[in-house]
Amino acid sequence: MDTGPRLEKILVANRGEIAVRIMRSAQELDLKVVAIYEETDKDAFHIMRADEAVCLGPGPRKDYLNIDKIIRAARETGAQAIHPGYGFLSENPDFPEACAQAGIVFIGPPPAVIRNMGSKVIARTIAREAGIPVIPASATLSRETAGEAEALAFAEEHGFPVMIKAVSGGGGRGIRQVTDEEGLLVGLKMSRSEAKIAFGNDEIYLEKGIPRPQHVEVQILADGFGTVVHLGTRNCSIQRRHQKLIEIAPAGLEPSFAADICEAAVRMARAAHYFSAGTVEFLVAPDNSFYFLEVNTRIQVEHTVTEVVTGIDIIREQLLIAQEEPISFSQDQVVERGYAIQVRINAEDPKNEFLASPGVVQVYQASAGHGVRLDGAIYQGYEIPPYYDSLMIKLTVSGFTWQEAVDRLHRALKGFLILGVKTTIPFFHQIVHDPDFIMRRLDTSYIDEHPQLLEYQEEERGVDKIARLIAEINAHEMNPFAFK
Amino acid sequence: MPAHISSKMSPAEVFAALREADGYFLCNNERDVSQSDFKNRLMPMTTVRVAPVRDQAGFFAVEVSGGASIHMDLMYKQVNPFERLRIVRQAMPNTRLMTVCRGANLFGYRHYPENVIRLTVREFAKLVDVWRVYDFLNHVPNMVPVFEEVQNAGRLLMPCLCFSTGKEHTDEYYVGKVGEILKVTGPDVIVSIKNFAGLGTPKRVTQLVEAIIKAFPGIILHYHGCNTDGNDIGRMTAAVLAGAKLCDVADHGYGAVYGQAPALTLIQNLRDYGKRAVGIKIRALLQSSDILRQERKIYEPFENPFRGHDPTVAHYKLTGGAVGTAYEQADRAGFLERMPEIFRELGHVQTELGNWWSVTPGSQILWTTAMNNVLFGRYERPSLDLQNLILGRYGPLPFYEPEDWIFEKVLEYQRTDGKTWQQILIEEKGLAQPPDVDLDQERTRLATRLGREVSDADLSLYLQFPFDALSYFQFEAKYGKTWLLPPEVWFRKGAFKAGERISFADEKGVPHSIEVISTLREWDNVITSQLVDHHYQTLSVRVEEERSTQAKK
Repeated sequence: MDTGPRLEKILVANRGEIAVRIMRSAQELDLKVVAIYEETDKDAFHIMRADEAVCLGPGPRKDYLNIDKIIRAARETGAQAIHPGYGFLSENPDFPEACAQAGIVFIGPPPAVIRNMGSKVIARTIAREAGIPVIPASATLSRETAGEAEALAFAEEHGFPVMIKAVSGGGGRGIRQVTDEEGLLVGLKMSRSEAKIAFGNDEIYLEKGIPRPQHVEVQILADGFGTVVHLGTRNCSIQRRHQKLIEIAPAGLEPSFAADICEAAVRMARAAHYFSAGTVEFLVAPDNSFYFLEVNTRIQVEHTVTEVVTGIDIIREQLLIAQEEPISFSQDQVVERGYAIQVRINAEDPKNEFLASPGVVQVYQASAGHGVRLDGAIYQGYEIPPYYDSLMIKLTVSGFTWQEAVDRLHRALKGFLILGVKTTIPFFHQIVHDPDFIMRRLDTSYIDEHPQLLEYQEEERGVDKIARLIAEINAHEMNPFAFK
Repeated sequence: MPAHISSKMSPAEVFAALREADGYFLCNNERDVSQSDFKNRLMPMTTVRVAPVRDQAGFFAVEVSGGASIHMDLMYKQVNPFERLRIVRQAMPNTRLMTVCRGANLFGYRHYPENVIRLTVREFAKLVDVWRVYDFLNHVPNMVPVFEEVQNAGRLLMPCLCFSTGKEHTDEYYVGKVGEILKVTGPDVIVSIKNFAGLGTPKRVTQLVEAIIKAFPGIILHYHGCNTDGNDIGRMTAAVLAGAKLCDVADHGYGAVYGQAPALTLIQNLRDYGKRAVGIKIRALLQSSDILRQERKIYEPFENPFRGHDPTVAHYKLTGGAVGTAYEQADRAGFLERMPEIFRELGHVQTELGNWWSVTPGSQILWTTAMNNVLFGRYERPSLDLQNLILGRYGPLPFYEPEDWIFEKVLEYQRTDGKTWQQILIEEKGLAQPPDVDLDQERTRLATRLGREVSDADLSLYLQFPFDALSYFQFEAKYGKTWLLPPEVWFRKGAFKAGERISFADEKGVPHSIEVISTLREWDNVITSQLVDHHYQTLSVRVEEERSTQAKK
């Protein structure tokens, strides 16, 4: 079988844990890796893990989004390919186009696929034509009063709740649920305005709301030889404001039903002429009906759970596919063993609306042991900058059974010691003790219906409190509490 | 006969064994020694360090709680008194723990509402096996709620007779008082003679013990003395020979001046009379003192500046437990050199105010009165507590009332309503009986201030010492369980040297270390760099007040 030119060096157009993750697989394939960074991110861990590094500019954020600078960095360092990771430019079709024009391989789908899947309307059309159920939805709404009339007619036909969605939305952003006509009319204006700000495109459409659905997604890989495989399902129902908090593989569906969804995902990928790694997302209703949601044309944050249960290195496959090699395994060889759970340990204060908690990581002791995988990008003494994603570490645990995975998650969470910034760890501690989580009674309303998860006392280590007294004694040159 | 009364025995089994025992039993009063000789500063880790051998010594009980220790735990040691009991219980699983409770004054200095008393006793009774209970006026009704709660909890009750000297302090009076107590408690109690200042001669103690036993055959008597005059061995010997079954003692390596006399000396003394200390292991006693001699160095700054025994206590009669704080107060206020003068005045005041028992809270009233008399003129600065005392708020004075001129000076002091002392007496005299507090409301108030749930134990501390308990809870939230530190670190004077390492184990036995790496002093800000369990941290402390004070100097 013919293969394309062998890559020797790639540039990772991202930062943080995903940049490190990509570098690991690349280095295992003996590829040199180039990191990029902004001046405001110069202490980031991913820079230390690269073979070379290029400062794009002062930052923050804008340089990571500057296609020209990244292409220039690739050229100057001799990188033959660029991996976009997730976020930033990963789903911007202009980026692979620019890469192509510069003669650089883009490690991901071609621009047309990204563009088509980025349009919810086109993606739904492709899905419908491929015989995949889609949630009843409107066309892109007209502006002003005509759009209001279209929306009211849609609601009358399909009933409430109705979801208002941005045509260019993604990652849970640009979605609003409304339950009555008044809310619908107000929501249209707000969603349009928000979409314009967030995505530069104020086009919106409506979808029928599915009550208490599970969010299930299928990992797919497609190579240049027409092979499309799926790597099973993931359950990402535990979300806060449409942002995933915990991801589980497999999704825990009845086997034949899971097979149906996976087959639909492959069909969707074929219909979309997909290439590289991607994710097809579905909503699963309580009656086991399922609906196509969207396709994410990039590596996902939660790809780790699939890797853990299948043993397949998705990034490695992406790199091979980019070199015009075939997928290195067949569908028959894909077997999911046990369960994997991923939690996102963020520098955030859950008790304060999950507000970002940037600062210096004064102490960092990582968890470890059997069935524990960490994908992180922090180190002791690292100052988490306020400009970027607050994700510090992805903790992925696996177990032969669901209960074993939950027990392991509990143990692994206890194994962390992170001082200096607030983290989501105490919140996950709450979740692992929750009977609904333990019984896998999970749907997208889980977080809203479990407000008690935020009722915890943060326990500071006893030795750290006592250290405070030692500092007092040292400062006062006596113990001010013993000699009042 | 059992060689030792096991801590696992029920109260009924204990009383039966005590009555049958041929010999006497010893109670180690570590709490009183700490209070009398070391200004109450003994830290829990010292108790824990000696616990393994002390637990083998065969004491009937070890007093580690009560008196002023509860308040001092909160004020100067920053340890939860309940937690201290749990720690000691864990360290000495085979030994009964004892406390002393001031009746209606609980562990404080004023009458508390009855529901506060009952709540507090219920909570402490979960951890304390033996309860010495007294009232400084020997007013039995003041002790009844405590008696009831202790007996309801199935703990051993030890009602006390406060003992003193003088023509009013007859055998008849004390025998009558024992009868009054037994009428309330029933016969299954240990009656304690609380010779709080170590007063009277051995002969006087013999007479008293014999008189009580004669009046109440089968009674179990305990003798609690104090060695201020150096003669408590004599009194204890006399008490045991006359029939007392239990005595409070100290370790010879620790204290034994204003607190109790040494156990070993008493054992040696009584051996010649054919009396043996039941269950006591001499080797363990020796080992305990060897350990405590080392620990004693830590507490040396808290020993009384006037070392040695003081036979003049027969005149001023101050309880051993108050001597340390009296010296501390005098030292702080700068009149230490006037102590002999104040002690002389204390004897006069004692007589003038009714010759009752100079033990807490009465001892504080007498001490303050004598001090103010010396510093400001006789009865020119009477305290509010003295006013309350002669108004009978603490209970009736047992023997006689002060002279009229004292009533006049005390009661009319700072009165703005123009009432004469006679009018005041008519209108205001009587026992203080504070109404019950709303416990739920107080619990909510405390929980709001602390931002956490409040246990009954927390609430009981707060209701007794609102300010100091709250301060302690806030301290604990910020600084943690600092009693885990070696006591020498707690009482540290001077900054740490670079590289100095503090090692300690937590409650679960996990070792920890804090190593001071460097200190950066920038005027009023001190930055300490530390390795906390081998991880680098920096902590900044403002010392504005001391620096500016030093600057002024």
